[in-house]
Amino acid sequence: MTDHVGRLYALVAGVVVFLVAWAVVAAHPWSPRPAQDPRLVALAARQHRLQRESVLVKRLVDRRWTSYRRALAARNAAAAKITARNSALAAMATAAPVQPTVRVVNLPPLVVTRTS
Amino acid sequence: MIERRSFRSMGTTVELLVEAGDAESQLDACEAEFERLEQVMSRFRPDSELSQLNRDGWIDASADLAGVVELAIAARERTGGAFDPTVHHALEAAGYDRTFTELPDDTADDAVPAACGGRVVVDGRRIEIEDGFGIDLGGIGKGFAAERVAERLALAGPCLVDAGGDIAVRGIPEGGAWTIAVDDELTLGIVAGGVATSGRDRRVWRRAGKARHHLIDPVTGRPSETDLVRVTVVATDAIEAEVLAKSLFLAGSATASAADVPAVLVTEDGRRLTTGGLGS
Repeated sequence: MTDHVGRLYALVAGVVVFLVAWAVVAAHPWSPRPAQDPRLVALAARQHRLQRESVLVKRLVDRRWTSYRRALAARNAAAAKITARNSALAAMATAAPVQPTVRVVNLPPLVVTRTS
Repeated sequence: MIERRSFRSMGTTVELLVEAGDAESQLDACEAEFERLEQVMSRFRPDSELSQLNRDGWIDASADLAGVVELAIAARERTGGAFDPTVHHALEAAGYDRTFTELPDDTADDAVPAACGGRVVVDGRRIEIEDGFGIDLGGIGKGFAAERVAERLALAGPCLVDAGGDIAVRGIPEGGAWTIAVDDELTLGIVAGGVATSGRDRRVWRRAGKARHHLIDPVTGRPSETDLVRVTVVATDAIEAEVLAKSLFLAGSATASAADVPAVLVTEDGRRLTTGGLGS
């Protein structure tokens, strides 16, 4: 009885070993791995390159946008200052104190005014 | 009879006219006064009071410097910042860093414009400037000197003091008015007040091939790009005339021609506009 059971286990173990060996041999582990499709390789490389470029472009656009917004703010501030300045000048001219006595004459000049 | 005296001071030719029999001693005193005031207000003399102020940021000044800086700051308030004495660094950045006669015709460098509008505190005789700013009194200094000297020369008789375009008069001459030519075709007659001319037709130099002039726009820190070439203003005194002439020059022809002050504007396309009743 014990010999019977032992032989049965040995038979099963032999069958299992045989099947595993069969599977290993069928897998041809000694043959070279098949080469990847070159189109897929090129596509992957292109995707990688485009991702890298898009990050660079985004950085560049962000930088330009920031500097544009700064320049715009500076221009708006300058325009506001000039507007305020012109208003102040207009108010100053309107509220000018005593007007000096001056007229256009047809006489020889004593002096010639020039840019100071 | 009008006696004349011409001499160099404050980087320009000063002319004194006085209607008097003999005013030699007064004229001598006036010439000396110009020299004294230049020693106070020149930014080109390293030992002047103004240079010391610009170097140290503060000074216990003479009454003259404190007075003229106070006038300049008041003018900045009145003109909404158009007239600004704190353009010193911007002038230097534009290349006007030495007397005009010493300036090279052109250089390759073109510096970054400097900021204007620095804080200035005048407390009695003590003047303090915000760090990073300096004061230039080029225009208003000449107006101030013209007024001071006219006051002195008037002791001898009716007089006119022309500090290179900043003109002050006192008294009425025999002819009835002081006649001042603005150009070949236009002569003004004044009996009181002052006249000043600001423009970019003189004191022009080049940097990196670009024309530069001394009238800095405080908003940009660069020489102004107005459409005006020259502005002559008649006002109650030479200081006010100088402030108005510079401010109207920076404002451009549209704003300047609407101002109700006696002025002659020359635009870059050669037109001459008159305001404040001078045209009628």
